[in-house]
Amino acid sequence: MAGNESELVQGTLDVLILKAVALQELHGMGISRRIGQMTNGAFDVKAGSLFPALHRMEQAGWLTSSWGQAETNRRAKFYALTKTGRKQLRAETERWARISFAMAAALGIGQEAL
Amino acid sequence: MISRLRAVWNNMFHRRQLDRDLDEELQAYVELVAAGTLRAGMDPEDAQIHARRQTGGIDQIVQNVRDVRMGVWLDRLVQDVRFGIRTLAKNPTFSLVAVGTLALGIGANTAMFSLLDQVVLKLLPVSRPEQLVIVRETGNHYGNSYGPNTISWPMFEDLRDNNQVFSGMFCRFPASVTIGYGDQVGQISAELVSSAYFQTLGVRTVLGRTIGHDDDSVPDSKPVVVLSYSFWQSYFNADRNIVGRTIALNRQVMTVIGVAQPGFDGAEIGNPAKVFVPIMMKTEMTPHSDGLKDRRRRLSWVTAYGRLKPGLTVEQAQASLQPLLHGILEMEAQQPEFTRSTTAADRQVFLRNRVELLPGSDNGLREYMRTPLWLLLALTGAVLLLACANLANLSLARATAREKEFAVRMAIGAGRARIVRQLLVESLLLSACGTVVGLALAFFADRILLRIYLPADAVTEFQVSPIPDGRVLAFAVGLTLLTSLVFGLLPAVRSSRTEITPSLGDRSSALSTGGISLRRILVSIQMSLSLLLLIGAGLFVRTLRNLENAGPGFSTDHLLTFTTTPTRSGYSYEETKSYYQRMNVNLQAMPGVESVALSTMPILRGFAWQNAILGKEFEGTPIEQQPYLSQVSPDYFTALGIPVIAGRAFTPQDVAPTDYAVVNESFAKEYFPGRNPIGQRFGLVDDMRTVTPNTEVIGVIADRKYRDLRETPHAQAYFPYLEGGDIRGMTVYVRTRTDPRGFEDALRERLRQFDPHVPVVGLETVNEQIGFSLRTERLVASLSAVFGGVATLLAVIGLYGVMAYAVLRRTREIGIRIALGALRSNVIAMVMREVLLLIAFGLAAGVVLALVLANLIRSQLYGLGAHDPLTFMGAAIVLVFAAGFAGFIPALRASGVDPTTALRQE
Repeated sequence: MAGNESELVQGTLDVLILKAVALQELHGMGISRRIGQMTNGAFDVKAGSLFPALHRMEQAGWLTSSWGQAETNRRAKFYALTKTGRKQLRAETERWARISFAMAAALGIGQEAL
Repeated sequence: MISRLRAVWNNMFHRRQLDRDLDEELQAYVELVAAGTLRAGMDPEDAQIHARRQTGGIDQIVQNVRDVRMGVWLDRLVQDVRFGIRTLAKNPTFSLVAVGTLALGIGANTAMFSLLDQVVLKLLPVSRPEQLVIVRETGNHYGNSYGPNTISWPMFEDLRDNNQVFSGMFCRFPASVTIGYGDQVGQISAELVSSAYFQTLGVRTVLGRTIGHDDDSVPDSKPVVVLSYSFWQSYFNADRNIVGRTIALNRQVMTVIGVAQPGFDGAEIGNPAKVFVPIMMKTEMTPHSDGLKDRRRRLSWVTAYGRLKPGLTVEQAQASLQPLLHGILEMEAQQPEFTRSTTAADRQVFLRNRVELLPGSDNGLREYMRTPLWLLLALTGAVLLLACANLANLSLARATAREKEFAVRMAIGAGRARIVRQLLVESLLLSACGTVVGLALAFFADRILLRIYLPADAVTEFQVSPIPDGRVLAFAVGLTLLTSLVFGLLPAVRSSRTEITPSLGDRSSALSTGGISLRRILVSIQMSLSLLLLIGAGLFVRTLRNLENAGPGFSTDHLLTFTTTPTRSGYSYEETKSYYQRMNVNLQAMPGVESVALSTMPILRGFAWQNAILGKEFEGTPIEQQPYLSQVSPDYFTALGIPVIAGRAFTPQDVAPTDYAVVNESFAKEYFPGRNPIGQRFGLVDDMRTVTPNTEVIGVIADRKYRDLRETPHAQAYFPYLEGGDIRGMTVYVRTRTDPRGFEDALRERLRQFDPHVPVVGLETVNEQIGFSLRTERLVASLSAVFGGVATLLAVIGLYGVMAYAVLRRTREIGIRIALGALRSNVIAMVMREVLLLIAFGLAAGVVLALVLANLIRSQLYGLGAHDPLTFMGAAIVLVFAAGFAGFIPALRASGVDPTTALRQE
């Protein structure tokens, strides 16, 4: 898949952000970088999509934010998962598992591999 | 949810802080990206540039984040509202006119709705009132009846004990009783209730206990009474020690056992019960009438109520009850009291009777007021619609003037939706202001309406208040939204179609159409609506006039009336007879009294005593044709001025019970066609015994109204008073020599001295009584006339506005025409042609609409058809003249256009 977030399947960005902050709280740049690592560079989330998404998710109650020290001693806003966010991540993970399994079956990806 | 609310809160009150935070966050992002690339070996300046490019437009992101924030719509709304207020304030004339028009429209609607809601719509103040149903039997009952919703006591018992559909069932009977407490005597309304009444309704007491099964199992055994809360407060000064005390009802000593919860005044809205008495005390509460103990199945008198078991629909319950009723009817049809007075054909009809369940909060009075009040609400709705059309017209004109403003806003990036929203916010602001003023107007309107429509005591009976409650407020808010949509949406959508380039050019005024065709359509609609209202007004005003002119068929001037019921003060039949004989003599001796008439039935109060009759050539009569009956004093016809046209009236010597009768012309024509009615005989059918026709007709009187002013001539028969049967009470008519109003107090005092133990009820002039009986007609007539006038005014203003605007737009064209030699009369004709076209379209549509809708009000009319041509034509003429005049002003102005000025205008 090309690394262009405009081609992201609807709802992909949210679940990736949730996953990215599941282990530790991260600032915006950190989240972007973590998503890149997690997807082996397939997704490169640009600031233009990232920040509106972060604010939207914070208002939905999935994320909380706090100011802290970044690597360069720069003050930055860190995002962490809330309880509802964790629930949401679980639900989304299940959904994605179902979808990817179904898509794989439909497109015959698994059979080809066999 | 909480995080969302906090977000809204922050957005509203900490916007600056949020924006600063966002800036810093994005700054950090850029620096962090730069730091990353720096580590990868790029030189600092390039890293900074790369990072910026990587991030994209910061402003764009800031805007996007702001948009995402909850409450962004709120943010814009506040902006729109602020801007709207500024715009409206800049144009105070428009704003004032709009708010005033809306206030009138919304106020009128709210006032009518408030009345309708409180008189007709509200449910009983009991638990789950929607589960409560009245159980009635449809069709002919073949016997005596206290009203359409009543059944016999044994029928109630059968239904109560054998049904599968009700979780509880009770019955009630309203009665007037004489109350004595201390040395006060008066008449109050009581509700006789079966034992499950309070329990089934879910009504509790604030003091003492309710009537239970033990109070209501053996006739005459438990003289106990529960007081209504309001009666306890007004009559007993909220005495907390009242429980255990005794009061006298019809001279029967009764123990007060409780006071019902506040707000509950019995099962019949509009006829509040002051006291609740076990129905087993029927004999004591309605002396000498005993449907309870004699268990007559042909006397229907109780109203039965059931509470549906949860989950059951009315249809299911009806279906389940039908076989039960049918079984009871089969049994009843075998009984001698049924067979004695009916034929085999009657039996077939009788067995087709069905169970019908009505909403438990309904009653006859509310049924009677329902149509007129809905009608008035419909009229006010039409007026509001007209007002909205006018405002839409105004706004369209204004929108044309504001085209430049919109074009500028769109040119700098406002979307169509934004423009529409802006205009809707403006109309919403106007509606909201209109509603606030309208609510105040509605309060005063209701106060006036209540005084006209429901006299003082009735206001307390319906507990109608002009103060709006939650439902009325909700209605008003609904109206606000609706009206702002109705008059705001059309101009808003049109304005949003503004093309940027031409509007910004200089020639905007010449190019824009100004929605003139749309406005013409609106004006035509207004014309048709106001024609509709004018026709309605005409029909109702003429109905009232007809009713007043028709009169009761005798002179009602100088006539006073009142009613007494001595049997409710413990008088025996013999004592009652003597009471009335003495009263007759006493009143005739009173100075200023011309004559006195006594009758067992009050006239023109909606009551009737009907009975089937039989004679040599006829036997039994269907219930709707049974003659109206009454027992009257010898002077009755003379005193009321009803001419005896054949034979003679009664004399004091006509003593034998029902041996003699005086009938009216209709009776004579119906039962003795083509024969001399004098000397003919008939008899009253009685289900208790077999009857022979032995009542002799001794006189014939001219037809006159008996039940109400609307009735068509109906067979009537009169018997001598005091002789034919036992009398419980009578209505007295006193003809005075002077103004009866000044006579009332003297009469009341004389009656008090004559017998202080018997309360005098309903002392008033007959003209007042008739006036009151026409109150609904008067209300409808006067309000529809007002609404018709307002509607016409609105429509005419609308027409004027559109034509004035059209003429203004065509000034240049008209100037050219005049320059080329057109005469003033040509110009006037040209404009008037358009005016008349608009009126003609409106009239045509209005007439068609009126022809259809008038059928809905047919039942409300009297003395004229729903398609009365005179009324239709009159309304059309009024409208044509008013509208023609309004159109003539712009036409005249057009003819005065100075060609030189007009041509230079460009």
